[in-house]
Amino acid sequence: MTSISMGTGRSTADRLAAIRGGVQPKRHNARTIAALTRNPGCARRAVLDTAGVDKQRLAAYIDFPARFGQSGFAIARGNAFEAQVKASGAAELVRLLRERLGLPIPEVAYDDLETVTGREKESPEVRYARSRALLLRAAAGEEDAGTLFDHPLLALEVAGQRVYLEPDLIAFQHEGRFHVVEIKSFAVVDGQADPAKVSAAAIQAAVYVLAMRQMLAEAGHDPEIVAHDVILVCPRDFSNSPTAVLVDVRRQLAVLRRQLGRMTRVDTMLAALPPNLSFDLAPDADGVPTRAPEALVEALRTVEARYAPDCLSVCELAYFCRAEARGCTAALGTSAREELGGIERVETALGLAKGELSPAEEQEEAAALLRNAARLRAEVLGTAG
Amino acid sequence: MAESVDAIEHRIDALRAEIRRAVATRDTSRTRALRAELRAAERDWEQAVADLADLADLSAPTGEAPVGAEPGPAGSLLPVREQVHHALTLLSVPAAPRLIAEVHAAFFGPSAPSLAANRLTHLRRDEKRSFETAPYARPYHLCAALTAAHLAPARGLIAVSTWPLERRIVGPLSPRVDFLTAAVRVARRAGTMPDGSAPVSKLLWRFATNIPGATGAPGTLDRHDTVDPQTVIRAAEAEQAVHAETDRAQRKAAADRARRQLDDVQQLFGSTLRTLQRKTA
Repeated sequence: MTSISMGTGRSTADRLAAIRGGVQPKRHNARTIAALTRNPGCARRAVLDTAGVDKQRLAAYIDFPARFGQSGFAIARGNAFEAQVKASGAAELVRLLRERLGLPIPEVAYDDLETVTGREKESPEVRYARSRALLLRAAAGEEDAGTLFDHPLLALEVAGQRVYLEPDLIAFQHEGRFHVVEIKSFAVVDGQADPAKVSAAAIQAAVYVLAMRQMLAEAGHDPEIVAHDVILVCPRDFSNSPTAVLVDVRRQLAVLRRQLGRMTRVDTMLAALPPNLSFDLAPDADGVPTRAPEALVEALRTVEARYAPDCLSVCELAYFCRAEARGCTAALGTSAREELGGIERVETALGLAKGELSPAEEQEEAAALLRNAARLRAEVLGTAG
Repeated sequence: MAESVDAIEHRIDALRAEIRRAVATRDTSRTRALRAELRAAERDWEQAVADLADLADLSAPTGEAPVGAEPGPAGSLLPVREQVHHALTLLSVPAAPRLIAEVHAAFFGPSAPSLAANRLTHLRRDEKRSFETAPYARPYHLCAALTAAHLAPARGLIAVSTWPLERRIVGPLSPRVDFLTAAVRVARRAGTMPDGSAPVSKLLWRFATNIPGATGAPGTLDRHDTVDPQTVIRAAEAEQAVHAETDRAQRKAAADRARRQLDDVQQLFGSTLRTLQRKTA
């Protein structure tokens, strides 16, 4: 899991805190970063996520509740499987790694980084400092530097802000190489798993690989010692016994790096927004929001969104944005948007197709395409009917 | 008990619903107060159920007379404490609640429904409170294993206070060494059992599959009735020899440090000093 912390730039931090309101920033995970990079042009999402606004709650309050999320059952199952694999100093994982990577017998050192000083609530800085110290010691090839690191905390710069990432997994060192281990509770049956789930896990793991590599590079180590093969641990067939597969995340890494690089820095984005912008629900003593939903909707409208059908599966506010984008050609998906370059509204497109509107100069290409499509449609319907 | 079990259950349900609402509205102070109330109600419930059991014993026609019928708040805890102590004594190393429950179920019968993991965290907190009010009043306390790095309580591990400090320290190699030690202990015990019971051989098999060479011939990995305790002991000891010396040195160094730096309570239940912050300050 990740939390977004306001490490850099005091004024930016204050600004983000004001946008968030008087509540704790929402905790994020590698999924949100993966999703963030899927639609990098969406300022609304970038601002809300960087400020740590609870989008789920916001969406529900303005009457566009998100209809997704992991079920409690799935989360419990995932946690139980992870606990099983990591029980007794990750005994099951050690066996898998010995089989899969030829991990030598002496390499079993296990460091639990989920808590460092035994306090239940620890600042991410403390955990990050400890993880960093241990991982860098391992990178330097020191004696007894450790092999398995349970829940280390990594950090990544996203849009100019430091985001802490907690691999729900173990980063591990063997003959000078780190491997990111991702533990997932979806089954691998006959060596096959749901491709969508595997690819989601791969993107998530790639976020960790990227964060690890950046940390090593900053400390003057070769970032390539973090393997681009991540180890995916899943239950085998219909049993609870784990199996490990290597997944190459080079492609995901390239995509992530490019998207993160393109993301507008949050300071630049904030500068363009009204200074009193806030998504504070202003809860009263009983936690009941006191702000009118209309005020929040208005605040949302001041931040530009870029809705695409893809958003429905990754963003909590997608239903609101979809309703807002009704009638826009962009809402039809990226390919339709590209074909209809320069035509913003669906009505315009229909008008052009029927020849009721005359296209402007830059719309001529798209208009020809539309008229062609309309003719084809008429022909097909005519012969069919 | 004045309040009937039904009434307490009703109260618990109401409190849970209330907590859910409080959490949903992010009201942390109210949530905390309600949680405390819920814990109290759950204690009442334990007590009421224990009383009920006593009543049932008394009224049962063939039932034996209850011995010293004084359930008290410790009454319901005592058996759990002892179950945990039995399992830990068998294992001889700090262990996670899940393993403790499994070991107990395998060797001492399945009479441990209350050995659930969440009960055990409560237990450790209760033990600490008891030790703080009356140190060394009990023959043993269930306490924490300490991390070698910060002498903080190791997450999710339970130990026994009468063990030497070295055994309760967890260094980087200790989880593996303790796992192998536990495997040897379980295998020895399984070897003395007259007839391999299914839960015991299953437990032993789970240890064996994660130790190189412990399952005997390859290909028998999926059959847990074929595991030979002697093979497991040999394999575990062989791997243990690889890690033992480094681990012992690390544990000893940490234990010496703990004796110098920590008071009695901290030596048993761990220090939560802000070691890192102090270092950076």
